[in-house]
This record gives sequence, C-alpha cells and structure tokens, in this order.
Amino acid sequence: MRSLWLQVAAVTSINLKSIAQRRWLSLSTVIAIALVVIVLLAFLAMANGFQRTIAGSGADDIAIVLRAGSQAEINSTVSRDQVRLIEDAPGIARGADGKPLISPELYLVVDGIKRTTKTKANLPLRGIGEQGMALRKDIAITAGRMFSRGSNEIVVGKALLREFEGLDLGSTVAFGATRWTVVGVFEAGGSVFESEIWADLNVVQSLFNRNNIVQTVRARLTSPAALNELKNYSDTDPRLKLDVKSEASYFAEQASQTTDLIQKLGWPLAIAMALGAIAGALNTMYSSVASRATEIATLRAIGFGGFPAFVGTLAESLLLAVIGGLLGAAATYLIFDGVTASTLGGNFTQVVFDFKLSPWLIAEGVALALIVGLVGGLFPAVRAARLPIVEGLYAN
Amino acid sequence: MNDFDLVRKNLFRRKLRASLMIMSILIAFMIFGVLAGFYRAFTLGEDRAAADRMITVNKINFTQPLPIAYYNRVRAVEGVRQVTFANWFGGYYQDPKNFIMSLAIEPSTYFDVYRSEFDVPPEQLQAFIRDRGSAVVGEKLAQKWGWKIGDRIPVQSNIFSQKSGGHTWDLTIAGIVKGKVEHVDTNFMLFQYAYFDETRSFGKDTIGWMILQTTSPENNDRVAKTIDAMFANSTAETSTDTEKAFGKAFVAQFGNIALIVFLVVGAAFVTILMIVGNTMALSIRERTREIGVLKTLGFSGPRILAMVLGESVLLALLGGVPGLAIAALIAMALRASLTNVAPAFAVSPTIMLQGLALMIALGLITGIIPALNAMRLRIATALGRG
Repeated sequence: MRSLWLQVAAVTSINLKSIAQRRWLSLSTVIAIALVVIVLLAFLAMANGFQRTIAGSGADDIAIVLRAGSQAEINSTVSRDQVRLIEDAPGIARGADGKPLISPELYLVVDGIKRTTKTKANLPLRGIGEQGMALRKDIAITAGRMFSRGSNEIVVGKALLREFEGLDLGSTVAFGATRWTVVGVFEAGGSVFESEIWADLNVVQSLFNRNNIVQTVRARLTSPAALNELKNYSDTDPRLKLDVKSEASYFAEQASQTTDLIQKLGWPLAIAMALGAIAGALNTMYSSVASRATEIATLRAIGFGGFPAFVGTLAESLLLAVIGGLLGAAATYLIFDGVTASTLGGNFTQVVFDFKLSPWLIAEGVALALIVGLVGGLFPAVRAARLPIVEGLYAN
Repeated sequence: MNDFDLVRKNLFRRKLRASLMIMSILIAFMIFGVLAGFYRAFTLGEDRAAADRMITVNKINFTQPLPIAYYNRVRAVEGVRQVTFANWFGGYYQDPKNFIMSLAIEPSTYFDVYRSEFDVPPEQLQAFIRDRGSAVVGEKLAQKWGWKIGDRIPVQSNIFSQKSGGHTWDLTIAGIVKGKVEHVDTNFMLFQYAYFDETRSFGKDTIGWMILQTTSPENNDRVAKTIDAMFANSTAETSTDTEKAFGKAFVAQFGNIALIVFLVVGAAFVTILMIVGNTMALSIRERTREIGVLKTLGFSGPRILAMVLGESVLLALLGGVPGLAIAALIAMALRASLTNVAPAFAVSPTIMLQGLALMIALGLITGIIPALNAMRLRIATALGRG
C-alpha cells in the first residue's frame, strides 16, 4: 500500500513539474477557468451587494404599516385618523414620556443629477416624524447636524452624496419653488436609507400639498412577537385595514426580486461558460497525456501501475483549475469589490449599493473551477491509466 | 465517402469534446440572440418616438402632480396642435400581483395625440366617451384575461381609494385598442379621468403629466420654453421635453446594473468564442500527421484547406443555429411578461442574419491558421512530427 502512494507521489510530482513544458496550453486553460469564475463572481457580488443593502435595512422589532395592497411605500397612503389609531395600538413601545415610539412618514420622489452620466434620476425625499431617527438602527450624522423641526432643511445619506451632485453640505437645492438647505450628512450602516434625503414631515407635507396624508407609519414594537398583536388590531378595526409587516420582512421582499433576477442570470451564464472551459481543459489534458506518453509507458514498463498515472493527470488538471479559480476570484475582487452602482429599486427610486464579494461566494467560484478541472481531467486521466505500454514506448 | 463525410467524421472523433464545444457555441449564440433582441427592443421604441410629441411633467419629478388648470393654458400656446393628459392609477386585478398598466385619461384628445400608434373603431371610441364609467383595454390585456366588450371589470389601485371608502372601481369595457405598428405595447387599460377625479379620495384636480403634439418638430424648442416659462416660479413648475429624451432618461435610471449586465454578458459571449476557438484550433493541430497522410494520398492543398475550414464552420453552425433558435423561443416566451419593459423583444430576421454571419466568421477565424498550416505542410515534416 505504501509503495502505491509513493508511486502516486512520484508520478504526480513529475506531472506537476512538467507543466512548464506546456506552459502556453496550460496558461490558456487557467485563463479560461479564471474568466468563468470572474463572470460568476461578478454577478454574485452584485446580487449580494444589492441584497445586503436592502435586506440589511430592516429590523425585526420595527413594524411598517402600509395601505393594504400597496406593496411599496411609494404607493401607500395612510390618513391622519389612521395614524392616530395606530398610536393607540397594542404592541407598540412607548418612550420615557409615555408617548408611542412611532414615525409617520411621507415618501416623495424628486429629481437628482447623477455624477457619472449627468442624467436625471429619481431620488427619495422622506419626511420623517419626530422619532424617525430613533426608529432606525446605526444612524449617525457624520457631518453637519440634524435638520431642525419646521424648517426647510434636509440631511442626505452618504451613498446619495457619492453618486449624485449638488447635495454637498451647505448647498441649497430647489424642489419646485422651494429651496432647501443641506445641513447634514448621515450614515446608516450601509443600508438603503443612505440613498435617501430626509426632512421634517410637517414641512414636506405642507410644501408638497399633502396635508393630513402620510404614506407609511413606522413603529417600534415592544418585542418582535408583538407584531401579531398589531396585525390583529389592524385587521379587526374596519377603519384601519392596513398591511402590517416587520421592517425586516418588508425589505426582504423588496430585495428578493432583483437579487433573484441577477442570480438567475449569473449562474446559467457561468455554467454555460464552464462547459466551454471544460472543452479547453480536456484539450490541455489530452495533450499533456499525449506528450508524456513515452514517459508514462516507461514508468509502467518498470513496474508503476495505472492508478498513479491516473492520479497524476487528474492532479495536474485540478491544480490548473485551482490556480484559475483563485486568479478569477482575485481579479473579481480587484475589479468589482466595492464598485458602487445604482439602479431603480422597488420604490421607483434609486438604490445605491456596492458590489460585495464574500468568502462564501469565493468558495462557490473556486468550487465551480474545481468541477471544471475534475471533468476536464477525468477522461484524459483514464486514458493515461489505460495507455498500452508498447504503443506508448513507440509514441515518438 | 465524400469530403463532407470525412469532415463530419473528423469533427466527431472526440465525441465528448465536440459535444462540449457545440454546447458552448449553442449557449454563446443563445446569449447573443437574447441580448441583441433586448437591445433592439430598447432602441426601437426610442427611434420610433414621434418627433413632434412632447411631454410636460412636474419639474420636481415626473411622479409629482400638476394642477389640471395647466391643461387649458397649454392648449392656448402657439405651435401646439393638440394636448392631452393622463394620471397614473397603479391598478391591479383581483390580486396586487396582477399589475395592470392603467391610466386615467381625457378620452377625446388622448387618441388624437396617439393616433399613429393606437387603433380604436370609431363606434367603440364614441361609446367610451359617452359612458363615464367605461374603459378601453389594449388587445394584449384583453386576451390575457379573456375580457370582451361589455364585461364589467373590478379594478383596484395600489395608490388611490374611493371617496366612499371603497378600493374598487368597476369599469365596463367599451372598446379594444389595437396597435398600429409593431413596437406598440397594448397591455394597458385606459379609463375616464373625469370619473376618476370625481371618485378618488385625494389629489383632486391634479393630473400626472401632459402629452402634447406640436405643429412641427421645429417648434419643439420654442413650445417647451414657452410652457416652462409660463409656470416658472409657480407652486408647480414644469419641465417639457421631447418624448424621445424623456424615454431615454427613464431607461437610464436602471443605471449601471443594466450596463454592467450588458458588458459582463457581452464579455461572456466573447470569452466563450475565444475558448472554443482555441480548442478548435488545437484539435486540428493535433491531426497534423493525418493531414500529411491525406497529402500523401494525393489530396491537394486547397482541398485540405477547404476541408479544415469546412470542419470549423460546420461546428460553429451546429452550435450556433440551434442556439439562435432557442433564443427566438426564449424571446417569444418572455415577450408576454416583459411587455412593459421591452414590448418589441424579439429575435428579428436581421439578428438571425447577423448571427449566421458571426457563426461563419467564428468558423473561418478559428479554422484559418490551422488550415493554412495544414495546406502548406510538407509531407515529410508532417509524418515526422508527433
């Protein structure tokens, strides 16, 4: 048994050392595999980044209340009377002063100009209630200050500032006939809120002629389980009939469609390309076996078995695949990781997000590369193991 | 056994490798077909946007409302032939997932402005104008749900509710709208603005946007400036642009995602061709010795050139043609669900021809170097080589 493994080790090392002789062919296989991995990982990193930005925005203990059937904040309408009923609803946490921790919000779309293309894009302007800040996790003003109540002041998310022009601290922007001053920039832990502009609810309501109407109500729950109490309350009161969701599940729904689409595009494409790469790998490995035919036959003639020849060939193929896979992952990391992109999200407004590669995604990419190496090496390896000695010796 | 048999037999000597290459080429051309179809759909609508049609929206953003009073003031602007307006309704049928692209419109002017796109029989249009609670639906939407003229359809909105507290508008179908040209999407429902405005619970006397037709495209600039100046410094300032520019700006909003997908998918297509080309070239090089034998047997250089090229072109066609066919099927299947985004999504005859040309080019390019080498090969060298 031990001698078998020694044989395997010997043949494998001969194989690997001889890669240099076939460097161009081997390199083309490595590059082909790397390209497959780059395409797959680019898509997965895009889906992952989008998903993290949106799904990472929601908390379990925050409820979001929308008009039944509206599906997204932009479509929803909730009247002032309904807001009052929600204030008294069960399951909602109260502050030290006994006031319910809720924030009625108005979500409007305004135009912004994209830095890169100079084209107009839909930006969300959110009028938030007094508790609006407190109801979101990881919110911090990083420059300037919070807007003051009752004034035409806005604070903008960090991501928005990066992608759209004219929103720098201290500048004024016109939405219609009203001028607004940017007094602060906020961070929101990379969530979708960083793509938003915030202002005081009452000011937004009056300047946009939406008095008495809000679109959503956010509420802090006494516990995540209190969501059901709130749901029951809304379902049984005919004046409400609203959709009550946890913020986490609301954002998960919003993210799933786009993420699915990106992934459904990425995987088939990568598998398609992998088939091409397998064809390339087969070529390389068949050539490898052919060029070493004499060598293999000589080894067999002096008593080496077929199994070491099999393992040696397969090992060469897998090594090329691993190099290709890692090269592809490294290239994706360098080219795409952290690249900022933006697109229309579920609320008909721009969502700014970063491409994000994760160790798990890299593992998926390398696994795909290994499959290419395995399939591409298997048949040539079988041939190497079965090579008739005499034919091999006369191969040249 | 003729030359073609020889080509065919050569090609399938390594069955696994040949099938993999055919598979890869198939997928590459499937990608090509779908991408080209999408591209065509996006640019077609843009190219066909009427040059004399303009859109006036709220300057803040096109989702913000305009006062209905603007309508009559715009009518009076010199150089404007016809104006109409619409309001987004956000309708759905039975379940919020059954989204219907639905607008509240002014019926007598709307079909005048869009007369080059939409075809409604005059008596149906008259019936629609007469009955305030009626609607016209596009042919595709009617087909989708099996709706006929006279049916009463309950439609709900994900934005609006009725003053009475209800959420449902019952609309009688008065007519079916057909498209006059290919890119027109008839997956919509239009109903009377007057009825909508009277019944909705908020936003009374506002409209979404105006569509106006100028007397000639040369007047576009002047008309736009006049309109926007007229409402400058008012509570609702306007922004007037050509339909084409408006559409372009809207598509641009999908932003880098669309561009990145396009680039990555395009790169994937090129990569597959490169990998396959390399493999094809190698598999022919492998056979140098046999080519020497053929030459010994008296095959002329040009004949060998033709055989090698024939083999690589055959391979490209074997993969490419079914690939394009599958792309056409995908386009047909997706057309219904993508009708809002890309109504003219199809693998057109032009795309098919381009695809065929690409396949032949792929075959020739990958085959030419090994083929030339094979043609020039001296018998002694060939037989001497491994």
